Amino acid sequence: MLIRIQGGRVVDPTAGRDAVGDVWVEDGRIVAPPSDRKPDQTLDAAGCVVMAGGVEVHSHIAGGNVVTSRLLLPELYVSEAAPEGHPFAHAGGAAGWIGATYARMGYTTAVEPAMPPVHALATQLELADIPLLDRGALTVLGNDDHLLQILRDGEGRAAVRDLVALNVATSRGLGVKCINAGGASAFKDGALKLSLDDEIPCYGLSTRKIMGALLDAVEEIGVPHPLHVHCNNLGLPGADDSLVATLDAAEGRRIHFAHAQFYAYGVSDPENPMTGGFRSAARRIVDAMMANPQASLDIGQVVFGQTVTVSLDILRQFGGRKGAKPKKWVLNAGDAEGGGVVPFLYRPKGPTSSLQWAIGLEIMLLSGDPERTILTTDHPNGGPFTQYPRIIHLLMDKEARDREIATLPGIVKERSEIATIEREYTFSEIAQLTRSGPAKLLGLDDRGHLRAGGRADIAIYRDDPDRTAMFTAAKFVLKDGHVIVEDGQVVDWRAGKSLALTVESDRAMERRTETYLQDRYGQGLDSFAVPEAAFATDKPVFEDVACRT
Amino acid sequence: MAAWVKGGATDADAAVMAAARLLSSAHAPVFAGLNAEVAAIRAAYDLAGRIGASVDTAGGDATYADLGALARVGAMQAPPAEVAGRADAVLVVGEAPLKSPLVERLRGTKPVRGRAAGAERSIHHLRSNQDLAVQIAHLRAHARGHMTSDAGMAETARAMASALYGAVLYDPGELGTLGIEMLQGLVMDLNESTRCFALSVSDGTQDRAALQVAAWTTGQATRVGFGRRVPEQDPWRFDADRQARAGEADAALWLASLPTPRPTWLKTLPTVALVGADAAPDLAEVVIRVGEPGRETGGVLWNEGRAGLSYRAPEQGADLPTAADIIARIAAAVAGRGTVAGRGAVAGRSAVANSEDA
Repeated sequence: MLIRIQGGRVVDPTAGRDAVGDVWVEDGRIVAPPSDRKPDQTLDAAGCVVMAGGVEVHSHIAGGNVVTSRLLLPELYVSEAAPEGHPFAHAGGAAGWIGATYARMGYTTAVEPAMPPVHALATQLELADIPLLDRGALTVLGNDDHLLQILRDGEGRAAVRDLVALNVATSRGLGVKCINAGGASAFKDGALKLSLDDEIPCYGLSTRKIMGALLDAVEEIGVPHPLHVHCNNLGLPGADDSLVATLDAAEGRRIHFAHAQFYAYGVSDPENPMTGGFRSAARRIVDAMMANPQASLDIGQVVFGQTVTVSLDILRQFGGRKGAKPKKWVLNAGDAEGGGVVPFLYRPKGPTSSLQWAIGLEIMLLSGDPERTILTTDHPNGGPFTQYPRIIHLLMDKEARDREIATLPGIVKERSEIATIEREYTFSEIAQLTRSGPAKLLGLDDRGHLRAGGRADIAIYRDDPDRTAMFTAAKFVLKDGHVIVEDGQVVDWRAGKSLALTVESDRAMERRTETYLQDRYGQGLDSFAVPEAAFATDKPVFEDVACRT
Repeated sequence: MAAWVKGGATDADAAVMAAARLLSSAHAPVFAGLNAEVAAIRAAYDLAGRIGASVDTAGGDATYADLGALARVGAMQAPPAEVAGRADAVLVVGEAPLKSPLVERLRGTKPVRGRAAGAERSIHHLRSNQDLAVQIAHLRAHARGHMTSDAGMAETARAMASALYGAVLYDPGELGTLGIEMLQGLVMDLNESTRCFALSVSDGTQDRAALQVAAWTTGQATRVGFGRRVPEQDPWRFDADRQARAGEADAALWLASLPTPRPTWLKTLPTVALVGADAAPDLAEVVIRVGEPGRETGGVLWNEGRAGLSYRAPEQGADLPTAADIIARIAAAVAGRGTVAGRGAVAGRSAVANSEDA
């Protein structure tokens, strides 16, 4: 079927396009305007802004920690009356709700950034139940005993590469992430703090060595997405040093920094670095990124209100347990990474929360390259992804920002530049921040743009000065060329695909890993596999994503 | 396919239609057991959402003993392979965990990973001849230095506090919520100076699989009701045994594709039973034999050794439907009867969520 999206303001920064025009769609793809055919369907986009579907790179939408957070804090989300068509789409926090809420906002792809290989099947089953979106997950490595043994024994790059490839293939990951590499292992052996060059007990390794090995492995395998790195010392004053040191340690290799806002905390009082609080290091982080075009980051923007933090960084979550609000928390010292779930209240108008809020916006507003500065809240760690429209509003509207800053404590102006920044994001820059940037970052060339040949994942928003309203409920959203949202309501409960890298695993490493797993669990690789048969459907669940050649 | 309606053998279609009639005409149906593969559990929640049923699991009491403590104080826990690989001191609370093969494994091995690697493993035991919760409270008081009166308890407290990696094994059904809360408090206290983790020993049901499916499907834990169109969690109200005893439920779906102790109400409440090898004509009003996952059919099951979900291929070929297939057919028959129209003619997740062109 040939569809014409007619008369909208078409915004595609990858094609230098920002003008009123048409977008044509056929068989799930964007096509060039046909010269001699009439459309089978016309979508009136007059008065609307037409963008590619949004792409999420870092949102905790599935997996063991997410499940635990629902059990620990069942009151966090409100379930409302079920809409037509899906029994659980308004079950707050559930897979159906996640898919529907993203889709209404014009997002069509979302990636869970923390999938431990030992729990890959559960994570993938949960992702497959998120309707409407394509989804994927990053395979987490960096604390597993098998990897650390290989590194400790100095086995070399090929062995690490083969083990990483095997884990990605077995878990059906879309990329590789390391989370405070070595931190979970160190915590289990009594450590409470870990920096880049501190020794990991029992292994004689450091975060630098582990991360360096993973950076090399990702490049050798040809993973399109650069190594996704959660640095040491998240949330501590001086965490900016950790991020910059980690960037230096990458030595020019591609690297992506997760939730950089939580690291843009410079020491405020050098005499009392851990107790004197922090000040914004947003400019330092942005300058470092601009000097390193091979690096990228996502924000982890804080929004005010109750949330629950979930992270495989158990060292950090253990450290943060006494700040839990309400006062309860879960720490799973899992088979490799483990995980921590700590409820947290970003206190409206609280000085610390306000400064965090300002720093996230500051990074985006100071950035010279929005395509390498991806909008996230690290859902739910900085707050829910449902706040993206409000964040976009603040980026696009200096007056709205000023009004909000005026309600916040003076520390925001004292310790950040936010109030002095005049910049207002354009639609093109928003598209870079939320579409083309994340798609390029994930290596998904078929989305994030509106060029001919691209996947017909398209969001059409009414151009409303109230950007919060505009980006909360799209007028139309197309997934693979089908209208799935109309006037902010889901009209077609389609399923997307789970995106997984096609990676060859080495037979010798398979045999070796089988032996390791049998010794440890009494079970082999089969018990960790993610076969199609597990999904109880005769339709394909996964879509292959090729590695770089 | 073996199926029976009111004790008489019948074919699959007739049994499915009878099941659909029974469930869709009920005012307060209950889905219970859920001792089955993930696909069947998922299908059960889907159908429950459509017809306004409530859901409970075979191990519901033990599951909610853990969840009650979790929602009040949280937890600090580790999986079996980590405990076996790292723990140099283990405290077994009560008698039920002794039935777990893990305890034998712990007795016969030493830690092999982490800072306790190679050390002898000490195993301590709190017997259930006295109130376990009170004993744990005493142990916690000794560990904090608030009590010194009981030499045996003081020694156990010292052993756990001086361990490099301690583990505390318990059975949630035996210990109960208050005991678990105290146990988690003990573990959290010990972590002020060393590492120690709790390990809740599974009761052998698929409750832990159901818990995950429930959480991602409804945003809540397992005991939910859909009578008001949204999932409402209430551990007391949606306790299936209680509902049956109180006469609140007027029909049931018993899902047990794996061997499961049967509830007493199976024959007194109009019930559709989807069961594995132990199917029998007089088990319930409608009985449908389904494949046992991991043996006769493939399926995703809770894997206790891994503390996670694993796919289990069938061990033998069997011409049997899966429980998920039967529930989907019942759902289709229910929809065909138009009984869900008042609920918005729900198209249903199972019908669309994994299709490209639905």
